[in-house]
Amino acid sequence: MSRLETRGLVIDVPGRADGRALDLCLAPEQVWGVLGPNGAGKTTLLHTLAGLRDPRAGQVELDGQPLANLRRRRVARQLGMIFQERQDGFPATVLETALIGRHPYLSAWQMEGGDDVRLAEEALERLDVAHLKHRLVNTLSGGERQRVAIATVLTQSPQLWLADEPTNHLDLHHQTAVMALLAEQSAAGKVVLMCLHDLNLAARWCDHLLLFYPDGEACWGPASDMLVPSALERLYDQRLATAEIDGAPVFVPAR
Amino acid sequence: MVKTISTPAVPPSSVSTLASKRAWPRRLGGLVLAVVPWLTGVSHANEVCAVDDRQREVCLEAPAERIAVLSPGATELTYAAGAGDKVVAVVSYSDYPPEAKEVTSVGSHTRVDLETLVSLQPDLVVGWVTGNPAEQLETIESLGMPVFYIEPRDFEGVSTGIERLARLADTQDEGDRVAQTFRDGMSGLAARHADAATVPVFYQVWDEPLMTVNDVHLIGKVIELCGGYNVFGEQSRLVPRIDDESVLDADPEAIIAGGMGEENRDWLDHWSQYPGLTAVDRDNLFFVPPSLIQRPTPRLLEGSRILCEKLEVARARR
Amino acid sequence: MRRLTLPLALLLAASLAALALSAGVGSANLALGELWAVLGGGGDALSRTLILELRLPRSLSAFATGGLLAVAGALMQVLLRNPLADPYVLGLSGGAAVGALAAMLAGLGGMVISGSAFAGALLSTLLVFGLAHGTGSWTPSRLLLTGVVVAAGWGAVVTLMLALSPAERLPGMLYWLMGDLAYARTPMPSLLVLVLVCLLGFPLGRSLNVLARGPMQAAALGVAVRPLEWTIYITASLLTAMAVTTAGSIGFVGLVVPHMLRLVLGNDQRLILPACALAGGTLLVLADTLARTVIAPEQLPVGVITALIGVPTFLYLLYRSR
Repeated sequence: MSRLETRGLVIDVPGRADGRALDLCLAPEQVWGVLGPNGAGKTTLLHTLAGLRDPRAGQVELDGQPLANLRRRRVARQLGMIFQERQDGFPATVLETALIGRHPYLSAWQMEGGDDVRLAEEALERLDVAHLKHRLVNTLSGGERQRVAIATVLTQSPQLWLADEPTNHLDLHHQTAVMALLAEQSAAGKVVLMCLHDLNLAARWCDHLLLFYPDGEACWGPASDMLVPSALERLYDQRLATAEIDGAPVFVPAR
Repeated sequence: MVKTISTPAVPPSSVSTLASKRAWPRRLGGLVLAVVPWLTGVSHANEVCAVDDRQREVCLEAPAERIAVLSPGATELTYAAGAGDKVVAVVSYSDYPPEAKEVTSVGSHTRVDLETLVSLQPDLVVGWVTGNPAEQLETIESLGMPVFYIEPRDFEGVSTGIERLARLADTQDEGDRVAQTFRDGMSGLAARHADAATVPVFYQVWDEPLMTVNDVHLIGKVIELCGGYNVFGEQSRLVPRIDDESVLDADPEAIIAGGMGEENRDWLDHWSQYPGLTAVDRDNLFFVPPSLIQRPTPRLLEGSRILCEKLEVARARR
Repeated sequence: MRRLTLPLALLLAASLAALALSAGVGSANLALGELWAVLGGGGDALSRTLILELRLPRSLSAFATGGLLAVAGALMQVLLRNPLADPYVLGLSGGAAVGALAAMLAGLGGMVISGSAFAGALLSTLLVFGLAHGTGSWTPSRLLLTGVVVAAGWGAVVTLMLALSPAERLPGMLYWLMGDLAYARTPMPSLLVLVLVCLLGFPLGRSLNVLARGPMQAAALGVAVRPLEWTIYITASLLTAMAVTTAGSIGFVGLVVPHMLRLVLGNDQRLILPACALAGGTLLVLADTLARTVIAPEQLPVGVITALIGVPTFLYLLYRSR
């Protein structure tokens, strides 16, 4: 069980005022959604939370310890990240790609063993890409690559999931499958935080939301408190129509 | 066996030298091993020594019988020294005397094929100080083949080069005779032109890029011998690269060109476009066969004779 | 493990075959039995000299140089996340060339040329890295661009030196620039470094695999990216400098060998690095055997042969890649 907290965190978006400092507390069994228009700094926030980028002010703490003081290897055993953009400069198979999720757990001289391969294959199976395991990643479709990337983090099996647009490129069925996977992780005591473009996915699957405005202003809290049409309309600068289906709110852009 | 002059002379019994070589077992080539019994058994009545152009005394236990020559010029010197029938290896462009073309080649002088050289088992290698790669000559020495460096920088160097090679090959009668003929011929030319009126000369080694020689160069010395004045003699580089403008500025009275092949008029025709040049105005554009003047060999005497004649022609046209 | 050992065993066999071939073939004709006798400690004196003093040191130097260049190339490609990077691309060979030519211009030989080339390569390394680092952080594209510009600068200096050098020194300089193993007589230091870097490369291999997927991904998976990148850069520079010092600048080995191996063996650096050492060594041994025999007794610079093999191969690979 891990916990991620931020203290007076101001992310470093070049040329933008500090805005509101973030004091978040991401606890086990929570699913957080980060909503905001293009350029609000959602990806920058995720990278900062993962310790891949220095904040302008404040700090991120993993289980009470400043993230910047921890060794990357130790961090990688607890915190996994699904990137929105990936580099496939060199050819690699799907299985090899999933296996790098085991990197934080293996010593320098250790080769990936049978157990590691089994974990990777299970993850690929879970993401419905096991049949592709000997294919080269750069020959896959966008949606298949996205699922391989998620399978890599599943192989890494972190306590904290940071996901940047996890449903990118995915068809409706796989969108739902991935959201269900993340919900399942959360139910098993993990922490999940994801950036989402789809307001309705957020409304359907997230129990906490962080609304991120282009000027650096932000507000956060339980989803039920955040899903106020007026606030969302201000967030996206877009009028919305609201309905309720299966007891959950659904937002549609008004004409 | 090779020793520098500055080191104390090693006693003629070469055992001590050999022992010091044993300290380098890796460098001890098969050739040295092969001659060990012979060396230690027999006295050195036959030992021949000569000082090379790096001022090292090179001694052979017996006169050379198999000579490898690594420059076209030195090949001519070796043949002139009367040791032509002992030459077992030459390099590319060793075209004089014609017999040299029949000898096995060991590649270009810039990259010697060491394998072929070693297989020919020479007992003397004649090296070229600035022409052969120093590393290869060092390798050759480390394999037990004595290297005699030769690179005449003046007329006397040609004469003594022939004499020294003749001593190492035990062909002194022939060598000394040829060397003396050359020496006498050159001093005869010098005496004849000692008081001749000075002719400003531009000597063209190459056309693109335009290159000449300075006074230190052997050709510069031939010009001086014939009573000429090298207009680029003061340049610091041996073979300076220059342009047309500096030739126009120097305004030589005679232009002498070598050329790619024999009798290449193109280089001289180039200057005809400048009628203002004294040399062009008086038609003092001369050709001297480069093979007779660009190599430090006995043929230099004939080349010098031709060049001196050309300057006489120039004087007559005043 | 078998995934690693099988290809490496095959490559090792190929290496030994290439070395045997190069020891057996030359401008002097030696019978196979004679070669066998010499390797067994016998043989006549002439054959011993030919094989033990001339051919083997040169072949082993060629092997070490080829291996060093290919490993350096593989490392540079991971560092720059660009499969088309080359150990010379960052101005290394240019710096080494300026160092070596300066020593030749001064009329110095042997070890001084080597030392001067090494110093030049390291100077170039520090210059490129220092400039690419600048005031902010460096990116692969910035490093690449700085390297290319510095290399162009060195190229101009080399041309200037060639123009100013006396005619009799030109052939030696040109041979050096084209890459030449005629001088190589002491293969042991390079071989030792090659073995060492393959052994040390193994524990770093998986981190390199992760780094090949980008620094962000690597950091997220627990790699200390900046120290690793420094290690790769300095190691690749040292390997290249060592190779350049032995044999002048030999192109395309560092580019083509890793590229071809990746096509066949995939991109696991734990396999690719030792495979590069073996395949690069084999390639250069064969190229050098060609260089000294194809028009014997004339000797070709080995760099010409690798370029003649490398250019069409590279263009073909480039044409096939999207």
